[in-house]
Amino acid sequence: MAKILHYLNQFFAGIGGEDKAGQEFLFLPKPVGPGVLLNDLLKNRDIEYATVVCGDNYFHENEDAVLTKLGEVMTRFAPDLFIAGPAFHAGRYGIACAKTASFARERFGVPAITGLFEENPGTREIGRYVLVIQTGASSVSMQSTLKRCADLAALILNHDHEGLEAFREEFCLKIPRRFTVQANAPDSVRALDMLLAKLRGDAFESEIPRIQAAPHPIPAAIQDLSQARLAMVTEGGLVPLGNPDRLESSRGTKYFKYSIKERDDLKSGEFEAMHTGYDTSTVNADPDRLIPVDAMRRLEREGSFRQLHDYYYVTTGTGAMPAKMQELGVGIAEEIVASGVNGVVLTAT
Amino acid sequence: MLITCLPNVATQVGAYRIMTGNKFHYPVGNPELSPEDETKWRAQILSAALKVLQTPVEAPTIFDR
Repeated sequence: MAKILHYLNQFFAGIGGEDKAGQEFLFLPKPVGPGVLLNDLLKNRDIEYATVVCGDNYFHENEDAVLTKLGEVMTRFAPDLFIAGPAFHAGRYGIACAKTASFARERFGVPAITGLFEENPGTREIGRYVLVIQTGASSVSMQSTLKRCADLAALILNHDHEGLEAFREEFCLKIPRRFTVQANAPDSVRALDMLLAKLRGDAFESEIPRIQAAPHPIPAAIQDLSQARLAMVTEGGLVPLGNPDRLESSRGTKYFKYSIKERDDLKSGEFEAMHTGYDTSTVNADPDRLIPVDAMRRLEREGSFRQLHDYYYVTTGTGAMPAKMQELGVGIAEEIVASGVNGVVLTAT
Repeated sequence: MLITCLPNVATQVGAYRIMTGNKFHYPVGNPELSPEDETKWRAQILSAALKVLQTPVEAPTIFDR
């Protein structure tokens, strides 16, 4: 016999819509709403199914109290599996799902599943080891999500580690974040254990999630450089002295372009690097060491290429999220292409 | 093309044309040289960078400077 505890908001529990978002925390010793279908999908197993319900507003206004009550239910009911949602693109519900699932996993060591759309703010609250099934943006994908949820539940209850890994790879959201968790040994011990496992050829899992870059098209080589207009870009935070646009010195969220028109080189005292990720003193002493205007002008005069673009583009890369950098990169690329630029030299610190 | 002192990271994230810079806090600087020599040195680096822009690639590739 296995026990499943399922968290739902007031809407999916069938209590009501926004007018019932103040619904207090509730324990029901049966499946409700999507739980009914899920329980049905698992009907060939011996399962005791219970539901906890909480209004979206009530959760956010009384989070600590709700988690305390959830803790009492976790102790009393002692589930083998905790399921929250799925919440699709619903923000408050998504955060509540993320927090309850993380709570169940971290405090009680109970495997926890939820289902979120990739842009749901709940993805930022997900704790380590919680499995997040990737869903569509709306409950239109309820059927297929619950089918996957049932498959995943079966893998967990069967302790099918290989199947679980394959499922996670195919259907779960990759959450590229670092988590604060209580470990059972100091980092030096864990690191050496991991190294020994690697040397022995045993399985091990890095504690730092690897970020998978989505493949993108290969930029074509420039055929005739003598006809090319080139631009310079950097993530090294070089801005005019005084940082007039207030570029962040870490975790950049914006990019700017600054004119280099009629400049033969960048002079100390006119530009400065805003960047907490490296010692900027050498660049500040001669900004050409980051945005090489002097060298590019020389090559332009020699006819190596046709023209240097009038602006260079800049953001600050240090500590930034890859997703944000991708967004900035797309913005810079679109502007540059629209300006008739054929190639870019990007310097990174 | 990208000039960086972390070419392995650049390869991992899928940049295609990569050249190793001089130092990570001044990728196209060489402060030990006189200003004139440093500009000359830098022009050589950028000249190599321009060749990279003209080179077809099929996968992330690290070029010599």
